[in-house]
Amino acid sequence: MKPFTYLSPTTVEEAISFYGQHSETAKFMAGGTDVIVKVKEGWMEPDFLISLKRIKEMSELHKNEATKELSIGALVTHATLEKSLMIKNEYPIIYDAVSNIGSLQVRNVGTIGGNLINAVPSADGAVPMIALDGVALLHGPDGERSSDVKDLFLAPYKTILKPGEILKKITIPAQAPHTGSAYTKFGRRAAMELPLVGIGVLLTLDDDLETCTRARIVLGVAGPTPMRAFDAENYLVGKKINEDLLIEAGKLAADESKVRDSVRGKAWHRREMVRVHVKRMGLKCMNIIRANN
Amino acid sequence: MSNTKREFSVVGKRIPKLDAAQKAMGRAAYIQDIKLPQMLYGKILYSKYASANIIKIDTSKARALPGVHAVLTGEDVPEKMKMGFIKDNPPIKKGKVSCFRDEVAAVAAISPEIAKKALDLIEVEYEELEGIFDPERAMEKDSPLVHDHLKSNVLKMPWDIHYGDVEKAEKESAFVVEDRFTTTWVTHCCMGTSGAVALFDASENLTIYTNTQIPSLAQKDFLEALKAMGLKNKRVRVIKPTIGGGFGSKLDTYAYEHIAILLAYACRKPVKMVFDRVEEFKATSTRQPTIIYIKQGCDKTGKLTFRDMRMVLDNGGHTSWGATTPSVMLMPISSLYTVKNVKYTAKCVYTNNTYSQAMRGYGNPQATFAIESSIDMLAEKAGIDRIEFRKINKNHAGEETPQGLKITSCGLAECIESVEKELDFKDKSEKGVGTGIASLIHVGGGARIYGSDGCGAILKMDDYGKVDIFTGGTDMGQGLDNITAQIVAEELGLLAEDINVVHSDTDICPWDVGAHASRSTFVAGNAALGAAKKVKKKIQDFASKLFETPAEEIELKDKMVFVTGNPEKNMPIGKLLRKAHFSPGGNMLMAEHFYDPDNQNMGKELKGNMSMTYSFGAHGAKVKVDEETGKVEVLEYVAAHDVGRAINPLLLEGQVYGGVVMGLGYALTEEVTVANGEIMNANFRDYKLFTAKDAVKIKAPVIETDDKDGPFGAKGIGEPGCVPTAPAIANAIYNAVGVRIKDLPITPEKILAALKEKNG
Repeated sequence: MKPFTYLSPTTVEEAISFYGQHSETAKFMAGGTDVIVKVKEGWMEPDFLISLKRIKEMSELHKNEATKELSIGALVTHATLEKSLMIKNEYPIIYDAVSNIGSLQVRNVGTIGGNLINAVPSADGAVPMIALDGVALLHGPDGERSSDVKDLFLAPYKTILKPGEILKKITIPAQAPHTGSAYTKFGRRAAMELPLVGIGVLLTLDDDLETCTRARIVLGVAGPTPMRAFDAENYLVGKKINEDLLIEAGKLAADESKVRDSVRGKAWHRREMVRVHVKRMGLKCMNIIRANN
Repeated sequence: MSNTKREFSVVGKRIPKLDAAQKAMGRAAYIQDIKLPQMLYGKILYSKYASANIIKIDTSKARALPGVHAVLTGEDVPEKMKMGFIKDNPPIKKGKVSCFRDEVAAVAAISPEIAKKALDLIEVEYEELEGIFDPERAMEKDSPLVHDHLKSNVLKMPWDIHYGDVEKAEKESAFVVEDRFTTTWVTHCCMGTSGAVALFDASENLTIYTNTQIPSLAQKDFLEALKAMGLKNKRVRVIKPTIGGGFGSKLDTYAYEHIAILLAYACRKPVKMVFDRVEEFKATSTRQPTIIYIKQGCDKTGKLTFRDMRMVLDNGGHTSWGATTPSVMLMPISSLYTVKNVKYTAKCVYTNNTYSQAMRGYGNPQATFAIESSIDMLAEKAGIDRIEFRKINKNHAGEETPQGLKITSCGLAECIESVEKELDFKDKSEKGVGTGIASLIHVGGGARIYGSDGCGAILKMDDYGKVDIFTGGTDMGQGLDNITAQIVAEELGLLAEDINVVHSDTDICPWDVGAHASRSTFVAGNAALGAAKKVKKKIQDFASKLFETPAEEIELKDKMVFVTGNPEKNMPIGKLLRKAHFSPGGNMLMAEHFYDPDNQNMGKELKGNMSMTYSFGAHGAKVKVDEETGKVEVLEYVAAHDVGRAINPLLLEGQVYGGVVMGLGYALTEEVTVANGEIMNANFRDYKLFTAKDAVKIKAPVIETDDKDGPFGAKGIGEPGCVPTAPAIANAIYNAVGVRIKDLPITPEKILAALKEKNG
């Protein structure tokens, strides 16, 4: 492992200015569950590691009771999200996704922001943020800007972030009534597992509790970046939801997915898993909505 | 002598592992913790190709790097320095490489980082050759040769066995089933990675700290290495640090150990070689992969008539102990259930894949997977209940099997009954839920692989009633320290904590064949017991004079010596020992014992009673198969074993739990993915070892048959836990959803594909 200097700024501005001083020789780090591994293995050799851990505002998890907007600081750990009753009750898709990341130890230090910025196709955390129409707030040398989380990813390990830019937080707009959401990771093991596919579904129903007014079907590991299955979403919107419709949506999502063969799993099986789990997560959403009424 | 009714003080007690606290507090010293003055760090450069000629190696840049003390290539290895049981594998190759893990150069430097950097500076020019990766293809006449000096890729090995008359038996059978099964590469996944530290003293004697399960045989290998280096009549001292798991992986000496020796000699400084995890996956040996053809038959009543098996084993690029697994496979093939007519051929074939080693079960899990899957198929064809079928054919005490195994004690029927009692085999209430059963036989009383199957022990008592026992046996986490302490304490009327078990140093400990074949409790246990009996006799003789009572009336219990039927005539053992020591013509309480069981080497005929006794078991599984995804959930698992006697039920259960979880991985998730000879998943992310969260609740009923030759009746139980797990799971999956998966591991993909085929 190449030695590095560890910097721990306490404000976003300070962090950005550190980066300004050291530019490419510096690397930002959140929980460190990816970065430290890469440094130890020699895949990444920064001279300076700028830890964001001491920036308090980035660790805040807060729901604005007036606007109903949820704000998740980039440094909020998976464990914090997993243990929050508010998250579990109101954003079950987030709970589903973060509660099965890595292991307890990984979740205690790994952060939602790190999970997004690492930008692997298998990031469990990305799927719910996209399904919930999350917006990423970025801060860099040129000031602040924002982006929909779904547009954050360019390619594996590649985001729209410019050098020196930091993901500060993710905001989730108010959820419409009669909304249910769910995520599942299909993998081989119960822990320390990357999904073979990750499937998130969010459904909003009309007051009749049948007609779909909004659908989000988000797939992980189904392409180079997390993706929305628009055909399947569009198919559901405006229709009265039942199991047959969800089966059809599963088929459409499977067709849209860009799954491929790898050492970890075959494309045909991944496609099958998309098909089956879109249906299952859809049914789970329906159950959640009905249970809340 | 039967121990059944005997009351025990220490044997049978759930005493936690003696070094548990030491390990939990991080004070146990593993090879990673060993640090010696002036120590250098060694690293190995591996081949870039599965098959290639080495045209040129330029080490000049590596040598010029500050901090580098030595760079070695195949040219620096003495001609006669070879590894493997047929001594065909030099620790660094020259001329040709035949698999990705072939060593082509090694360096020693003042830090691991510099050593690594030096590897990058070594320039190797290769001429890539066509590789051969399918053993059945490698058997064909026009296949490329892995080793040019050999005329064929097929090893010259003896397994072509025929007991009875299989052809005749087949004709007379009412029902016959036939199929093909395959098992793939899996690896031990020891939490402590491999490593060694070698150093020479001024007289060129070698001390080597190394993770080994065979200290005495390793000493012999290293002496031969020294001889090859021109160092004759030298001493070799093998010191074992705390070992973080063995599972058979440490039953040979390896290139990294020989390279550490060469580097230490070249530099005249201690050299440490420690594998990182990627190296552990890529450069250590796997379980032997197999292609198995099996045919079995039975008569109308369900009695097995014959078993005919043919195997092709992928030998990889070099020959290590994996190539000898057919000898152990022969045991279940000839002797799991009573079957008189048995045929078995096995061919080991060189390929450019990785090569295999001993791994827990030593071939038995592969053979038992095919046998027990096929038994289920045969029972179904004969229309006989699968459990009933197994009972009809069960082994029994007094039986001599076609191979010549003499079954002395046998609790197989009790094991099956115990599984039946714990698991509801009739329950078909839920869709996708099913049950399966599979049995096992394994050596439980040593295994005569070599000329000797012995183990030595030296026991000495101090003036305070404490014991030091120096055993040839090896503890690598499995618990031989406890077993030894409990056996000695029982015999001498002491507590387990009074016994210090020393098992780590060939300068101190006597000879032993090694910690293999589930033999340590039986063989090392009997050695310790023999030494303890001799010391006990000395104590009794001395006490007899003191108490003026016949020696046979002196009892030792609760750290006291007393007279039978007259307990007021007593003395604490420590006090008695001091008297023994300080009286005129004083006595020292020491004894040695060498135990070599009366078992037989199989010889050229491959017949003979290889073990003094055999362990049996039956495993039952209840699974739920998700028919839309192919995913299997293990709902219940029962693993019943005939262990003779549980010396320590806590550790015994640990062995069974660990074995079963290893077996479940073998059944469902574990696979070293090899593509054209290259290992693609050399990490714990992609090598799907079960995690704590995947582990299932296991019931482990213990059947005690009190073996007449075992120490206090005990038989070996180290390996059986993982032997019948895969077929129990495969049979449960078949029972659940009607598809039989014949290739391990049974992945969701394979199940779903089979379901789709079945359902059209």
